[in-house]
Amino acid sequence: MPSRQTIAVIAVIVIIVAGIAAYLAVTSHKPTPTATTPQTPTATKTPQAKLELTGNLKEDLLRVAKVLTSNGIHTVKFTVWGAGDPNSVMRTLGIVEAAHRLNKILEENGVDLKIVVEQRFERGGGNELFKEFLAAYEQKANPDIMANSYIHLAALASQGLLLDLTPYAEKYTGLLNDFYPALLDAVKWHGKIYAIPQDTEARPLYWRKDVAQCIYRKTGINILKDLAERVKEGKVTWSTVYHYAELAKKTGCAEWGMIHRKGTAHPDLIQFIYAFGGRLYDPKTGKLVLDVPAVYKWLSVEYAFARAGLTPKNMMSWDWAKQIHPTVVDGKTLVFIGGTWHWTEWQTKPYYTDPKTGKKRPLTPEEVAKYFYYTLFPAGEEGGKPVTLSQPFVWYVAANAGKDNPKYQQLSDAYHALAFLLLVKASDPDINAIHSIISSHLPVRRAAAKLLRDKAWIEKLAKLQLDLAPEVKKAIAPIVKATVNPINIEFLANVSSYLEYTHLTPKHPYYGKLASIFADAVDKVLRGEMTPAKAVKYIIAQVKADPDLAKSVEIVGKIPENWKFPTS
Amino acid sequence: MNPLQRLRARRREREEPLIDVETIPRRRLTIVLAIAVGLASLPMLITYILLILTSFSNTAGMLTISDLAHYVPTIQPWIDFLEGKVEPTAGHLYTTMEILGIILNTLIVAAGVSIVVVLTSTMAGYAFSRIRFRGRKALMQLVMILHAFPGVALIIAVYALYVWSLAALPPSAWNTYAFIYVILSRASLEIPMSIWLMKGFFDKIPWEVEWAAIVDGASRIRVWREIVLPLVKPGIAALSIFAFLAGWEDFIYVWVFLKPRDIYTLATFIEEQVRNLETAYFPVVAAAGTLYLIPTIIFFITTQHLLLETYAGGMKA
Repeated sequence: MPSRQTIAVIAVIVIIVAGIAAYLAVTSHKPTPTATTPQTPTATKTPQAKLELTGNLKEDLLRVAKVLTSNGIHTVKFTVWGAGDPNSVMRTLGIVEAAHRLNKILEENGVDLKIVVEQRFERGGGNELFKEFLAAYEQKANPDIMANSYIHLAALASQGLLLDLTPYAEKYTGLLNDFYPALLDAVKWHGKIYAIPQDTEARPLYWRKDVAQCIYRKTGINILKDLAERVKEGKVTWSTVYHYAELAKKTGCAEWGMIHRKGTAHPDLIQFIYAFGGRLYDPKTGKLVLDVPAVYKWLSVEYAFARAGLTPKNMMSWDWAKQIHPTVVDGKTLVFIGGTWHWTEWQTKPYYTDPKTGKKRPLTPEEVAKYFYYTLFPAGEEGGKPVTLSQPFVWYVAANAGKDNPKYQQLSDAYHALAFLLLVKASDPDINAIHSIISSHLPVRRAAAKLLRDKAWIEKLAKLQLDLAPEVKKAIAPIVKATVNPINIEFLANVSSYLEYTHLTPKHPYYGKLASIFADAVDKVLRGEMTPAKAVKYIIAQVKADPDLAKSVEIVGKIPENWKFPTS
Repeated sequence: MNPLQRLRARRREREEPLIDVETIPRRRLTIVLAIAVGLASLPMLITYILLILTSFSNTAGMLTISDLAHYVPTIQPWIDFLEGKVEPTAGHLYTTMEILGIILNTLIVAAGVSIVVVLTSTMAGYAFSRIRFRGRKALMQLVMILHAFPGVALIIAVYALYVWSLAALPPSAWNTYAFIYVILSRASLEIPMSIWLMKGFFDKIPWEVEWAAIVDGASRIRVWREIVLPLVKPGIAALSIFAFLAGWEDFIYVWVFLKPRDIYTLATFIEEQVRNLETAYFPVVAAAGTLYLIPTIIFFITTQHLLLETYAGGMKA
């Protein structure tokens, strides 16, 4: 039996070996995004000038094809990953369709080259896909193209994992100019373009028409009269919303005045910061901004609503399917801070209790249109502007795009250019519009938004008479059947105009941490555990206590002592 | 004793059964314990029942007890799951073949881990039990220390080794290699404890049984295979079940090594479906979850006696 000393020595040796292994593993790998601060993109793969594009898709494609075929390459394989709700499959199928269209051009021009796309679409948000991309990159198993949220751009670009698309994209100014300007900002980092916008969304404020009518019957106040216009003009502020919510509660027309999403669904509430004229990011310093006056005003709104019983005190811990959505679709609240995707989610999930049968079922499109009115997110106070918030999805090209093809080292420029051309084709207005309609996202291009008003084209889509790749047609057939109807398309066409008012959350790697602290503070304020002033101090303390945030967050302004949320 | 007295005595016996100072309190204790264990298990039992019921419903979220009043059973979520539809109104994210492939992948990892663990542990356990060699005790203690390391703590080193070793293989072999790597690395986490378990079983077999065979001229390996192994079948069975379930239930290793290669197991499939709780469609997730539970339930119900035997006497120092 070895002595205790022997065992201790063995244990120490094992720990040291494990420590060395861990150290080597960490130092030989790129840092994870949570430990990354934005750097200059020196490590990022920049395309060489060998294969300069012209901006003419057909010409560029044939030029790239010539380089490849002259080197004996006749099949090029690309992989694409994407994530989202199950109806967002065009995030990956869009690339499949683009390959189909490029192959057609090649065939028509007698070029013996075929682009094959393998796609993988996952259910869920982009955060997990982002982590999978990082893990896969180390294993050389990463996709060539990835559809993911723009918020990962800084983290990926700073680690050199993305292809700098600037030299290619600069040639396609026509395409770039057709994207909504805010979305183009989303794909830039340190002045360079690292992605192409794929889809976006807006966050309307939903108003129950039946509750508003009930208020009108009982008080004679018609709150919906020109409401959308009044919100647009900044005449309706959050103080007005409070007043209307109070009416809904006092008249017994609704149980609640305002319901919002919870937990990590920060972007909806972050709109308050912009609505109160605040900001979250300073492009000059590259730092996040804690705008104290705006955050204080936001928390004051939450505090006032909860104290008056207009918003549940435990809102941040409500259950999605059992409480939040049923409360909204059953008309137990006047307003709901939601997203464009909820319009169709209420048509596909059994949140609604049918008063005739007592059974749960989804709403029909007609019912959704009958019950819901929508506006921009109103200005925080008089003189302010209405806002909305988008978190666009974008297509990234990996720095090693085309790696699974022959002679990669020699022909990497051609493979990279081809990957970019796939994105250009996948941005065709009809592909973008199809995705928008079947997934209830907003188009990223004005040309695609125009298609939403084109009845003849929509009719063709409904009947699937469009010229699409058979694989794509088959995959989207059941979704098209369930989602393509005039009511939903009209909604999308209307809310597309919101993109002119949109704001983005920062692409900063630590934004998620800051947003979690905000969510925590909102919960405390709603529950009455903290006043808005104490909650702001709590946020400041949390930011200072976190070494990463302490370095990355600029605290600006002071609590406006004389300001009070006008509740009457 | 007259007949009347005998009759009265019998009646007394019937009314007041023989009191055993040991058994009566034990019986009461057993009843109390059974009630306590039953009550403690109730929440978990209800959770499993609700999971299974959710898989046969079209509710928007997970079923709760209050939903049972309006419960309408339907087999649709199972059909959707097996057809690769993660939501009734959505398109097919998977084909039926891909779903079957996911189940098969889970089985391959589980069976692979089980085979590797049983093979290595029966051999190493026998060696520790029967063969005296230099450093035996130190090695046994080292094996126990290895067991103390959680899989998560080792994953950085395991991952680094994996990435470095990939360079030595052609890309066409990477998927197969990932499978083998997961099986070996997951098995290596189970092996230390399994060696000790098997050593305990081997220790219980009298040395004379083997001795007789060796005297008759059998080799050590033949003795191990033909004489000793049949005597520790319950241990092997228990071990293979434990190892199978460890492989079946593993999430982290399959997520790190298989998922990036687009190879799913049930664990990673379910994780993907519940990733976004706001929009997750629970009946289909519950169907996958119920399927995921089946082997565990079957094994624990059918092999309770093996587990008890393992816990009671499987380990001896």
